[in-house]
Amino acid sequence: MDKSTLQRLPPLKRTWWLKHRFFKLYMVREATVLPLVFFILCLLAGMISLLQGPDSWQGWVAFMGAPIVLLLNLLALIASLFHAATFFVLFPRVMPLRIAGRSLPDQAIVAGQWAGVLVVALLFLWLFGRA
Amino acid sequence: MNVNKPSVSQHDAHRRQAYDEPLWWGLFSAGGVCFAVIMPAVILFIAVLLPLGLLPAEALSYERASGLLFSIPGLLFIGAAVCLPLFHAAHRLRHGLFDLSLGNDTLNKKVMYGLAALLSLLALGMVVAGMLN
Amino acid sequence: MSTDHLQTNHFQTKHISVKRYLPDSSAEPYWQQYELPVDDSTSLLDALNHIKEQLDSTLSYRWSCRMAICGSCGVMVNGIPKLGCKTFLRDYEGEIRIEPLSHFPVQRDLVVDMEIFLEHLAAVKPYLIDDNPVKPYDPKAPETYQQSPEQLARYKQFANCINCGLCYSACPQFGLNPEFLGPAALTLAHRYNLDSRDHGTKQRMTELNRHEGVWSCTFVGFCSKVCPKHVDPAAAVNQSKVESAKHTLIALFKG
Repeated sequence: MDKSTLQRLPPLKRTWWLKHRFFKLYMVREATVLPLVFFILCLLAGMISLLQGPDSWQGWVAFMGAPIVLLLNLLALIASLFHAATFFVLFPRVMPLRIAGRSLPDQAIVAGQWAGVLVVALLFLWLFGRA
Repeated sequence: MNVNKPSVSQHDAHRRQAYDEPLWWGLFSAGGVCFAVIMPAVILFIAVLLPLGLLPAEALSYERASGLLFSIPGLLFIGAAVCLPLFHAAHRLRHGLFDLSLGNDTLNKKVMYGLAALLSLLALGMVVAGMLN
Repeated sequence: MSTDHLQTNHFQTKHISVKRYLPDSSAEPYWQQYELPVDDSTSLLDALNHIKEQLDSTLSYRWSCRMAICGSCGVMVNGIPKLGCKTFLRDYEGEIRIEPLSHFPVQRDLVVDMEIFLEHLAAVKPYLIDDNPVKPYDPKAPETYQQSPEQLARYKQFANCINCGLCYSACPQFGLNPEFLGPAALTLAHRYNLDSRDHGTKQRMTELNRHEGVWSCTFVGFCSKVCPKHVDPAAAVNQSKVESAKHTLIALFKG
């Protein structure tokens, strides 16, 4: 079959994802990285201020408290949890785990990953929860 | 109906093997795990509780923050909380631009992964600089 | 038999809008509405047959088995790809809009040109490849292939594909770039790669490990939602990414 004889449709318009709820949720999932990038840039700024000295560090902590910065970072927190919820269910589908020849139930893998989130949060609490 | 016919040479170019894609996808996946598992806690403590003053006064003082960050565990932390999530974001942004038919993928790819690599090096470099001080 | 069952089987009248395209008489597609009697057991395919036989013989569409195994009667129902025989009008209140499958060139009414899907399917060699074939009647031939239930279980789910093409209409990446091999072809490639009797993985990898192979997929996941046989093509494609990555790593170290 000569491939060049095949008919091709023009590609979708860039508004294709507005046509269905499922595609809108997909775009929200992809967009979770936008507030993530904002937070990482804040973190890089914090590292620079830490290298510059105590005054600069205090200035950075104050900057992080500015309402708009705080709001965007709260958005990043929500985005990370939404990303987690969408990402964890994909894992058992991409890498089905087998232990002793038996496949682990999907819910167990998803629950295990949420337990991971909790463990990291507890580690942070142990690290920063006391003076 | 509106129908396009591509040239044969254009089709041959598509036969090329994508040797680089497994690397980008691997970094994307690792970054996705970091974004999901550790970033909620990182953002909560550093970007919400700290500026709101809800952490104990000395929890992230200049001395404590420097001590924690400019160390080998600090280097690992930056790898997991900055570098890998940056590659995750770069991958999604690159594909998002394609989804919205913005720019061209060959260039988008270089810009996105290039920026992720640059910022990662900067972050790791800062930790090393702090350790040498 | 109770009469309750008969009582719930009530007749009513519903409206169906069909996107018509008749290239001989009109260059542009147009919508046409039909009014027809339906009951609880009326499938969309029954409705199309009713239109064709009673109302309008010019309507064109594909169908054959009417039991979700031939994969011919795929159409868009209110923008979502469905099999006509597996879709029941009782589940729809109000507007029912029927269009030809998205992302394929339309030939006439609900009939689309699926050639590009068949080409992508052929490209991944969806059949058992044995690198050590024996001649017929060879006395030294090995015994018939044996496969354990565990070996069968590895690929069984992915073998249920009926090539209906719904996943291609659900996939925006295929809509954005028709050179993308797409969900069903990649799933069948994975199905044969997982088969213990097959030795064709290396040949298929040259197709899978391209930009238009597994790497065009962004795990939108709608393909798996619309699949009438619950094959989960999105899982197969992404498992193939892992295999493709392993394959590339091995090739890198072997030089």
